[in-house]
Amino acid sequence: MPSLGTWLAAFFTLCMLSFLYKDNPFFRLAESFFAGLSLGYYIGIVMNQTLKPNLVLPLIQDFHANWNLVFAAGLGVILYFRYVKRVAWVSRWALAVYVGYYVGVNMMQKLHGEVIPQIGNTMLSLRYSGVDTLSNLVMVVGVLAVLIYFYFSAEHKGVVGGVSRIGIWFLMISFGAAFGYTVMGRVSLLIGRMVFLVNEWARPLIGSIT
Amino acid sequence: MNLERVMQVDRRIIYLFVAIGTILPIIFVIGLPVSITPPVQMAFDRIENELQTGDIVLMSFDYGPSSAPENAPMADAMLRHCFSKGIKVVVIALYPLGGLSEAVNELNKVTAEFPELKYGVDYVNLGYKDGAQAAMKKMAENIHEVFPTDVNGTPLDRLPIMKNIRTYRDMKLVVSLATGIIGEWWANLVNAQFGIPVIVGPTAVSAPKYYAYLEAKQMAGLLGGLKGASEYERLVVNRYPKLGEVYATPGLYTATKGMDVQSIVHLIMIAFIVLGNVVYFTTKRKPRKAS
Repeated sequence: MPSLGTWLAAFFTLCMLSFLYKDNPFFRLAESFFAGLSLGYYIGIVMNQTLKPNLVLPLIQDFHANWNLVFAAGLGVILYFRYVKRVAWVSRWALAVYVGYYVGVNMMQKLHGEVIPQIGNTMLSLRYSGVDTLSNLVMVVGVLAVLIYFYFSAEHKGVVGGVSRIGIWFLMISFGAAFGYTVMGRVSLLIGRMVFLVNEWARPLIGSIT
Repeated sequence: MNLERVMQVDRRIIYLFVAIGTILPIIFVIGLPVSITPPVQMAFDRIENELQTGDIVLMSFDYGPSSAPENAPMADAMLRHCFSKGIKVVVIALYPLGGLSEAVNELNKVTAEFPELKYGVDYVNLGYKDGAQAAMKKMAENIHEVFPTDVNGTPLDRLPIMKNIRTYRDMKLVVSLATGIIGEWWANLVNAQFGIPVIVGPTAVSAPKYYAYLEAKQMAGLLGGLKGASEYERLVVNRYPKLGEVYATPGLYTATKGMDVQSIVHLIMIAFIVLGNVVYFTTKRKPRKAS
């Protein structure tokens, strides 16, 4: 016989799948449970896995070595000032620090880890070397055509219009590949749920009945 | 047959076909062949040929239960591969909604198949850390400051595996089983800035964008979705036939079994797409009656 947890999981899975027939109260019940449980889980994990070991325990165990954590905690606390109208402006200071930090990290990351290597990988040789030349040619033509499609400072007619149409074709092919992968991903998730329903719920249930 | 009616088929009929096509291959496993693609072969070769017994791999569980059907088989296959080869694994989780529970589940499942392994010596679970990018950056300076204790609260200095691991330099490879953007950060932050080779196992939805990183040699391999996981399973079983017994366990969900279902469902979808197009073009060619 399946356990209570398995019964609950099967019930909520079937509630979710019932949306395929049409919107109904069972689906909305499961949806609300899912949102609430996710938030509760997230709060719990942040409390136990982040705040406790990285802030609370270091401050309690060795305040002198970790006193600088008070600033981070302070910034976190003043974020909640936004809920008090009179001092809401204070929360912007913490937000400014977070945004500044994120921009700093992200700028370097995007430049160093994406822009430069990806541009470098697009500058391909067109000298004849067999199949590679064709592949490189497709890459160079594709990149240039797509860039021209997204260049809006010139009207898309004449040569610019023609090249941008080639860009549309390249975009369509890439969207097609992405869509194919998306379908595969969604079907994989369906398989996961169905495997659960068949192997962990239905089979033990039928086994216990027969 | 009135072709116009075929064009207006209720979508729930299609769902019914998909449901039947999903359930039947789960009950009656077909065992369709799996072909290996270069990105997965690269990932396998990196671990098989370029890592030695005793080397350390950092495995990051950057997914939750929502994408586990795709990511969990990847994690299982890579853990089995590492443990079969005597590679030590340091596990972390950077995905908030269930990354840690997935790490615990998969580690418990796979380590039970290798009773000779010792926790804290051959593998360790450092737990979850919030703020993935900040954690990744800080780990380049000192992992012990990011994860002061393991998931059980044991200080890292008391775990033999962690005694000589301080930064990425002390590890040979990072593997990220990822949903969303976290896998990208491993490639464009950790690989780009600190040079450690990175293998990413993303969900199929995210896989296309990772090919750009693979082409630019920012990643050492790529396992795209369930298909990538099934290919890795096949490679692992071919190299370590003993693991074939594990993968043949009845009732055990594997990517290879999942791909049977995937193939059937795709065939159903293709059939409907072809049917829809044939009917569309046939009805379009009919001369319109004068109104």
